[in-house]
Amino acid sequence: MSYLPTKNRDVEQRLRDEAKSLLEQGRVDYVIGFEPGSLKFTTTPLITNNKDDVDHLVINPFIVNNLSVYLTEIKGRVGIIAKGCDSRSIISLIQDKQVVREDIVIMGIPCPGLIDLKKVERLVGKDRDELDNIIRDGDKVVITVDGQGKEYPITEVLYDNCLGCEFPTPQEYDVLLGEPAPLVTDLTASRQKIEMLEGMSQQQRWDFWKDEFSRCIRCYACRNICPACFCERCFVEESEPQWVLPVPRWQDNLIFQVVRNIHVAGRCTDCGECERACPMNIPLRSLARKTYDLVDELFHYKSGTDKEASPLMTAYEQAEAEDFIR
Amino acid sequence: MTGKKKISKGNIERLLNEWSQEFTVFVPSQENGVATLAKWGGGDTSFLAWYRNTITPAKANFFPPMEEMFSFRKDREGYHIELPPTDERKQLIFGIRPCDARALAILDMTFKDAYEDPYYLSKRNNTVLIGLGCLNPYDSCFCTSLGISPAESTDVDLMLTDIGDQFLIEEITQKGRELIATASGVEEATEADEGKAKEVKEASYKKVAKKIETEDIKEKLLPAFNNQDYWERAAAKCLSCGICTFLCPTCYCFDINDEMVKNQGERLRSWDSCAFPIYTKMPMENPRVEKWRRVRQRVYHKYEFYPMSFGVIACTGCGRCIRQCPVNWDITQALNGLPAKI
Amino acid sequence: MTIADISHRRKFLKTGNVYLPHTAKIEKIIDETFGERAIRTFHFNFKDEKLREEFTFESGQFAEYSVFGIGEAPFCISSSPTRKDHLEFAVLRIGKVTNALHRLGVGAEIGFRGPYGNSFPLDLLQGENLVFVAGGIGLAPLRSLIWNVIDNRDKYKNVDIIYGARSPSDLCFKYDLDTWDKDKTVNMVTTVDRSDESWTGRVGFVPKVLEEVAPSANNAIAIVCGPPIMIRFTFPVLEKLGFNPEQMITTLEKRMKCGIGKCGRCNIGNLYVCRDGPVFTYAQIKSFISSEY
Repeated sequence: MSYLPTKNRDVEQRLRDEAKSLLEQGRVDYVIGFEPGSLKFTTTPLITNNKDDVDHLVINPFIVNNLSVYLTEIKGRVGIIAKGCDSRSIISLIQDKQVVREDIVIMGIPCPGLIDLKKVERLVGKDRDELDNIIRDGDKVVITVDGQGKEYPITEVLYDNCLGCEFPTPQEYDVLLGEPAPLVTDLTASRQKIEMLEGMSQQQRWDFWKDEFSRCIRCYACRNICPACFCERCFVEESEPQWVLPVPRWQDNLIFQVVRNIHVAGRCTDCGECERACPMNIPLRSLARKTYDLVDELFHYKSGTDKEASPLMTAYEQAEAEDFIR
Repeated sequence: MTGKKKISKGNIERLLNEWSQEFTVFVPSQENGVATLAKWGGGDTSFLAWYRNTITPAKANFFPPMEEMFSFRKDREGYHIELPPTDERKQLIFGIRPCDARALAILDMTFKDAYEDPYYLSKRNNTVLIGLGCLNPYDSCFCTSLGISPAESTDVDLMLTDIGDQFLIEEITQKGRELIATASGVEEATEADEGKAKEVKEASYKKVAKKIETEDIKEKLLPAFNNQDYWERAAAKCLSCGICTFLCPTCYCFDINDEMVKNQGERLRSWDSCAFPIYTKMPMENPRVEKWRRVRQRVYHKYEFYPMSFGVIACTGCGRCIRQCPVNWDITQALNGLPAKI
Repeated sequence: MTIADISHRRKFLKTGNVYLPHTAKIEKIIDETFGERAIRTFHFNFKDEKLREEFTFESGQFAEYSVFGIGEAPFCISSSPTRKDHLEFAVLRIGKVTNALHRLGVGAEIGFRGPYGNSFPLDLLQGENLVFVAGGIGLAPLRSLIWNVIDNRDKYKNVDIIYGARSPSDLCFKYDLDTWDKDKTVNMVTTVDRSDESWTGRVGFVPKVLEEVAPSANNAIAIVCGPPIMIRFTFPVLEKLGFNPEQMITTLEKRMKCGIGKCGRCNIGNLYVCRDGPVFTYAQIKSFISSEY
């Protein structure tokens, strides 16, 4: 099923041709992209070394995954499809020396924002598999239910982080497929949940997160889907010393998430995958984005924009502020 | 006279209130966009309109994500061990789906095998299950491939079928019979009611679109065990998180941990996942370091090893693993794609 | 003669809550080896008098030992059921729980859950020649059986014990090795992979020494335990000497938590090492569905 208006379909075909030639010419060992998923309106990562599989590659408003998460585990040269936020994750991995630039071929896709199915479900009052079709047309989206199509502004169904996207066009690429995307910046809408939290008192915030993290089941989807979490052994897996118990008590859950955010500060590109992956609807992006904003505020640093730069948290300048040392 | 009963949807609230006198009643509820089984607070039966299935399966009521096994205290005489206080009140789960109810029957086999697990079984023996047939299976459901019907169940005490403004009630166990005998608002069902229920059940069955060829699978599975190439491909996009295992109604792996502060501590049991890399890690070796071995283990445990030990596939086709997987890993695709028998 | 599937020889402890440990006190600590991965033997007894008298187990079974507040870990019971004045287990210091165990002193209290698992099939071993092959701390589960055999010596025929370690300082249970060496009813062969200045005994890897000693496979059963690599090289040697897979027994080790076949982690195919093992014949291992042992 194609969710693209016809004029975008040839970008898809160009992508397939490009990926096929990469494999045929032996420039890469694997291609990582998106293919249609097994459920309605879903896509799934396609990781293949078979040139016939690339005919399944798609580009549509549901290509959510940040595929750079696979770069740290795949052995060999990779041709990878990257949206704006993904490309920044790739640059961040290059900065951390987890990926060698020459080993990857980045097929950049300018991204006008992705459709959040949870938002669609809330808007229409029906579940994803009960909808007939979702088609994006510029700044509008047409959702068809029971044969009836209704139009909505696209901003009502885009992911929160897409609403505040500052780099829709990939920052680093070998080939760019499609036209540079317009900036869909509505930073306020994107930071709505965070603003609400910033307006709370410390006690209210504590109570809020205590409540949210009581639902956490420690599935670690947030950590495993994050490209910035590439540690072979995560701190929660240590037993000597035991920093946090693997038991899903709200205290351990909260510490896990807060420390995880601190560990990825300067690497997180606000791709929003952590929140999307969470099966218990915990607003994890609020923590991630807040950290992202703090990094920008304190260090004037936006992650994944300069592959020559030293990683933020591992580089030290003598001129840095030392007022916190008492 | 059909021998079956019925109750109108408008009387459900009163019924649940009645049952709340004797039981802690759990009903589907939606909080923060997550559907779970939560304690009935009285008054709200809106779940009857939106309920399809919960995110966390019913196993969480018997085998919770975290549970205290016992506590211990140290004094001059040594350690004293104490069991946690048990909830004497009986549980009643209203609205469990056939897939989740069958899953409990499958879990029973493990928790009763060799040694009885007191924590799970005490809750299980203390609980009444009121099943509710599905009208609207998800596109990720595949219960019919595992011999389960979305609207029929004998793994519950009472089985309800939605026939419009009313529910048809089938009494499955003695417990169920006793429960409904004294319930208010219960009427005798007519032939027409039964006929409608039969239609509803058949329609529901047909709606389940996802399928796996179970007969075929039995032959193809074992020969494919050492097919590293197939499993590496199949496992490539898995992220090794725990969503599929934690939300699976038949998964039961757990971890045991101690915590102690000063002279007081407790031993806790919590959900664990064979998908995690450190699950089988020993100091000197780890037999499942590679991701494809862990993915293979999950599929084989459910579809080959459990049947070898207990005669039943440890999967009920509820589809949560497919629906909630952040990369849409689909077990039906992995199974249907098994290489043909040589 | 064949050994039938020996997985069903398990004893079930009749108790209330199977997860509740019994409390026991450490009575004696023996340092078997020193260094970073030191090995210690603990002698302990139950605090409860009645339990001390009633408790029984069989050679090969294991238990889950707790350091309250730190955790639990599985170790075989290394003492023999024929010598019940106290119980013993041996611990290699390598992780959280084992480190905590090594920090305990005499008089400290531990938890004990067991005995779990199956045991060495004594009825099938009686009247046979026995060949024990062990390496390093792998002697611990075999030790229980060896003392069991020696305490009922006339029920068994020839006994060969071939034991080795990486170096003389890595040899465990040296007091037993001395006793068995002096015991005329058993043939004790000790070897080290590499010697030091003080060592005057044999030098060579255990599988190689086994080949040199060449015990007869006639009416014989081999019982093997040691690091996985030693076991992997020992089985082919035994086969070369004429042993059938049913004549070879071993005891396997896997990460365990519950010890009673519930938590899932110790499985090899459809078998749980804690419930259907840890004692298996080589014939069973060869037909395991998974090669994860």
